[in-house]
Amino acid sequence: MRKITAVFLTVFMMGVLSACGSRAEEPASRQIYAMDTVMMVNAYGKSGEAAVEETEQTLYQLEALLSRTQEKSQVSALNRSAGEPVELDEELEQLIETAADYTHATGGAFDITIAPVADAWGFTTDHQRVPNQAELQALLERVGMEHVHLKNGTGMVDAGTEIDLGGIAKGYASDRVAQIYAANDVPRGMVYLGGNVLAWGDRPDGTPWRVGIQDPAAPENPEALVGVLQLRDAFAITSGGYQRFFEENGKRYHHILNPETGCPAESGLTSVTVVADKTDGNGTMCDALSTALFIMGEERALDYWRAHAGAFDLVLVTKDGRVVVTEGLAGRFTAAEGGAYSYETVS
Amino acid sequence: MKRFPELKPNGWDMMVLAVVVVLGIVLSLGWMSAETDRLTAKISVDGVETEAVNLPQLRQEEERTIQANGYTLYLVLSQKGVQVRESDCPTQDCVHTGIITRAGQSIVCLPARVTVQLQGTVAEDGVDAVLG
Repeated sequence: MRKITAVFLTVFMMGVLSACGSRAEEPASRQIYAMDTVMMVNAYGKSGEAAVEETEQTLYQLEALLSRTQEKSQVSALNRSAGEPVELDEELEQLIETAADYTHATGGAFDITIAPVADAWGFTTDHQRVPNQAELQALLERVGMEHVHLKNGTGMVDAGTEIDLGGIAKGYASDRVAQIYAANDVPRGMVYLGGNVLAWGDRPDGTPWRVGIQDPAAPENPEALVGVLQLRDAFAITSGGYQRFFEENGKRYHHILNPETGCPAESGLTSVTVVADKTDGNGTMCDALSTALFIMGEERALDYWRAHAGAFDLVLVTKDGRVVVTEGLAGRFTAAEGGAYSYETVS
Repeated sequence: MKRFPELKPNGWDMMVLAVVVVLGIVLSLGWMSAETDRLTAKISVDGVETEAVNLPQLRQEEERTIQANGYTLYLVLSQKGVQVRESDCPTQDCVHTGIITRAGQSIVCLPARVTVQLQGTVAEDGVDAVLG
């Protein structure tokens, strides 16, 4: 009898274990169209549904506040101010101040006032063209944070100046999502805000989330990666000239403009990925730096990284076929097999 | 000192062992099969799921015509994966994405606000998201 009981228990336990294995934990998930992109968020755990619902509402609110294309947004009101102060929400005021800090820290490489120049190139419309030098020069005179004035909850820009928070807003949104996930005790989740990734916790199987970095040489092939990051509780974002561009007379012009020249940055880099832990504010930092460091180029980007040791890490892809990984990612970055790139780790 | 009886396997023990091994194999195969069967193409318009297609159960290639926000997309679904064969959207990013074959991959048409996501268990060496 004991033998029969043993057989029964064995089968029962295997059945239970099998059931556990096959009934994978399902996350609450949502697809959201906001900030001119599609966002995909998922959250595991009991409060996953509440977290994604709050995330969706927050993203719509942020879009209404920060959009440059929505006429009723405060950013649009600020851009129309032309020297007349308008009231600003505290959140917007703080984000503009943060953007100004990154402008200062990167020597002007990150600049939210480049917007009218991007308009002239047509990157914000479907009518791209190459502006002439005189036109660019006239527009560049209105570029610079000295043309943005904030005071006691009000703000104004000088005539001809406009801001566009597109280079920082999604990163800021990912910080807000991290706050929501923390408040809801979400154990794990993956947040994809149009290229900005927040890897919250780990995968359901307990391993780190695996986040690929697109090969800039083959942007239309979803299988073509330069490598894979293993991330747990981290923000990551990539900026690359391959993401938006047009060609004229056989020359390719991409959308990452150097605020100094008003032209697409020719820095020798084809993509910059910035990775940082989930500390509040790091989503914003990753977004701002991915653009700025792309403009600054390999040498200045690595100098900046060394000067801010431990704050973030980088994966740089160069035009000459190298992938440069900073040492903080050692053990968390796996190079793609059989690719055309050479890989180096720097310290 | 008390002596414990010498343990020798008998017929019952061998039977238990055989049952465990056979069940282990059967359940593992069943579990793996269930995971594979889960590769589902979820088609969404404006963030709302309109159809979910279980790809491994497709007997032959199927097509879908998605009309959304003034644009028309022609999707091809097969056991192998999904792709947008044709679209009249201005960017053509959805067409250029090509075929997606693994859980975690997606095709996005921003102008039409159409998304096709492959959902299922991401392979151990697969990716959960792609930056870029």
